[in-house]
Amino acid sequence: MQQIDTTLGMYNEQGSLIATGSVAGNVLKYVGVCNKFSTQGSHFNSIVSALMNLLAQRGIFHLFVFTKVKYSASFQHVGFHELAQTDLGAILETGDTDVNDYVRRVEKVATERRLLPAKRVGAIVMNANPFTLGHRYLVEQAAQENELVYVFVVSDDVSLFTTAERLALVKQGTQDLKNVVVVTGDQYMVSYVTFPAYFLPTADEAIQFQTTLDARLFRDQIAPALQIQTRYLGSEPISRTTGIYNQVLQAELPPSVDVKVISRLTHGDQVITATRVRQAIAENQAASVLDWLPANTADFIQQNLATLQARIQKGMNINGN
Amino acid sequence: MEIKKTAIAGTLESSDIQLTISRADSGITIDLQSDVKKVFGDQIEAVIKETLKSLDVTAAKVKAVDKGALDCVIKARTVAAVQRAAETTDTPAWEVL
Amino acid sequence: MAENEERLRRTMMFVPGNNPAMVKDAGIYGADSIMFDLEDSVSLPEKDAARLLVYEALQTQDYGDAELVVRVNGQDTPFYDNDVKAMVKAGIDVIRLPKAESPEMVEKLEADIAAAEKEFGREAGSTHLMAAIESAKGVLRAADIAAASDRMIGIALSAEDYTTDMKTHRYPDGRELEFARNMVLHAARAAGVAAFDTVFTNMDDTEGFYRETEYIHQLGFDGKSLVNPRQIPMVNKVYEPTEAEIKNAKNVINAIQEAKLKGSGVISMNGQMVDRPVVLRAQRVMKLATASHLVDEEGNYLEK
Repeated sequence: MQQIDTTLGMYNEQGSLIATGSVAGNVLKYVGVCNKFSTQGSHFNSIVSALMNLLAQRGIFHLFVFTKVKYSASFQHVGFHELAQTDLGAILETGDTDVNDYVRRVEKVATERRLLPAKRVGAIVMNANPFTLGHRYLVEQAAQENELVYVFVVSDDVSLFTTAERLALVKQGTQDLKNVVVVTGDQYMVSYVTFPAYFLPTADEAIQFQTTLDARLFRDQIAPALQIQTRYLGSEPISRTTGIYNQVLQAELPPSVDVKVISRLTHGDQVITATRVRQAIAENQAASVLDWLPANTADFIQQNLATLQARIQKGMNINGN
Repeated sequence: MEIKKTAIAGTLESSDIQLTISRADSGITIDLQSDVKKVFGDQIEAVIKETLKSLDVTAAKVKAVDKGALDCVIKARTVAAVQRAAETTDTPAWEVL
Repeated sequence: MAENEERLRRTMMFVPGNNPAMVKDAGIYGADSIMFDLEDSVSLPEKDAARLLVYEALQTQDYGDAELVVRVNGQDTPFYDNDVKAMVKAGIDVIRLPKAESPEMVEKLEADIAAAEKEFGREAGSTHLMAAIESAKGVLRAADIAAASDRMIGIALSAEDYTTDMKTHRYPDGRELEFARNMVLHAARAAGVAAFDTVFTNMDDTEGFYRETEYIHQLGFDGKSLVNPRQIPMVNKVYEPTEAEIKNAKNVINAIQEAKLKGSGVISMNGQMVDRPVVLRAQRVMKLATASHLVDEEGNYLEK
């Protein structure tokens, strides 16, 4: 996430650098301004404007920025809306769509399925890379305890299984559960934008910060808008990042949102994990994990084994989440 | 005129207004941010709406960040954003200008 | 040559066409001409926005008595046609053609302007034009360019592109521009149109700016193109007539009026006949004096 697509510099007539800013995907980064020779904020507005126009030419209109809390107001002054903040920083968005549009889209799916209004609403966020019986077990538990369960599938396409594949496998694998709605988490849940550490090796402190932002965004924006009372997590015996994430969710979400941690499903003496499934694919041992998978996922892997292995050979990291 | 894609026009610099226009199923919605919203908010929105009407735009979502733009600037930026969003920049609607 | 040849054109201020703050305020500095730029100061993705901004500003903003000029994009760009149409529709006074290299280019602009006037119901011939000379080719054909249209009000030297074309760059003493300045000036005078000198961009070098302005004033240029409003009073100061010039001009004007009253065709002053060049110069001095607020309504010199 340190990667930068473009950096702009603004110079005054004397050739001094007066403002700079960068973009990575749809995230503004490293905005810095010298206000020595200008009225307060004018260079800031100019550089943000230039970055936005640059992204517009690339067809990118929905933007995010992470910034120190004290600069949040500056971004709000140019049309950004704050999604969440911690002591260390805030995340804001602007553009042609926003979290409210996202929530309305999700709600529409539930309404079309005639699941609204619902009194008890639960939610699960998963990458499902790929969807295993462990995931399925977690969804089943939530489905039993709620009238409506939203399953938010991580939307960034940086995993071994593509977003379309993961989404399709989750949908197929939960089709029989009539009160489960499967949608993508867009850029609001465990996304490359809000939570890059989920995808990249990162120091604990950064993970703590990012997961706190992610948790608060869920708590303050998503859960109230969709009347979600309970978030379900699988217990995390292996992944350090997910372990921290679970702790942070438990610290941040209550009392607004209850957190229920469901013990991982085991098969024999082994905990079912998608990580192990990916390793088995890489090691050409897919047959050894077929028992861990719903039929549709197992079929998919068998039919696309060569493609999946080719992705790994091309350098797709399978040891993350 | 039909909004085909999202488009942006204008800047956040002093005396300008930044307009983002995107598709909507029906109706015009305007999300306006301005330091002078209390006093001039209605007028700014009226200029945007009037301009959209003259361009025969009946459905659009508009986000406007005003930095003290005159009416003529608001109109110019609205027309620019609509023409970009409708992909008609090369064939301006002379009759409504 | 357009009919308003005796208009004062000491200062032509460049205004970036996509900058609302500058477009809005362009009228407050007292420039004789305001040149809204759709060309070099506007980036490619913003060409449409700048055109619309200048168009709307021309409909609604009050720029006083200033002559309003728009520099359109070149004829080799996809923006030229819509620039010309929009500006004619907006009722601009003058369209400035960049990178003029032949009378044919001026003729094309004239035809395009005439067509746009017809299309948008503007008075035929009401839109004037001028040409910028920015290359060796342009300089060598300056005389033909200046005389290429009845709508022509003037030609301007644009030194940045020109010096690049000449494989040099700008120097503080301006010797690299000597030939071009004289060519442009002679072409303008021969065609009876105005001559505008190029911009001076180093805002920190006040002394250099005065030196250059005094030099082009001495050569006979009508005025100078400017990038910063702070330069307007500086140019006006250089073009200010002296007390002696004003008093002499006033005497000439008095003599004209006297001759008119007498019904005499011969103007004489202090017993000598006053010929046409003297009359023209006197009229120009009085015009400059009035613009510089150095005379009262009757043309009497005001002590500073």
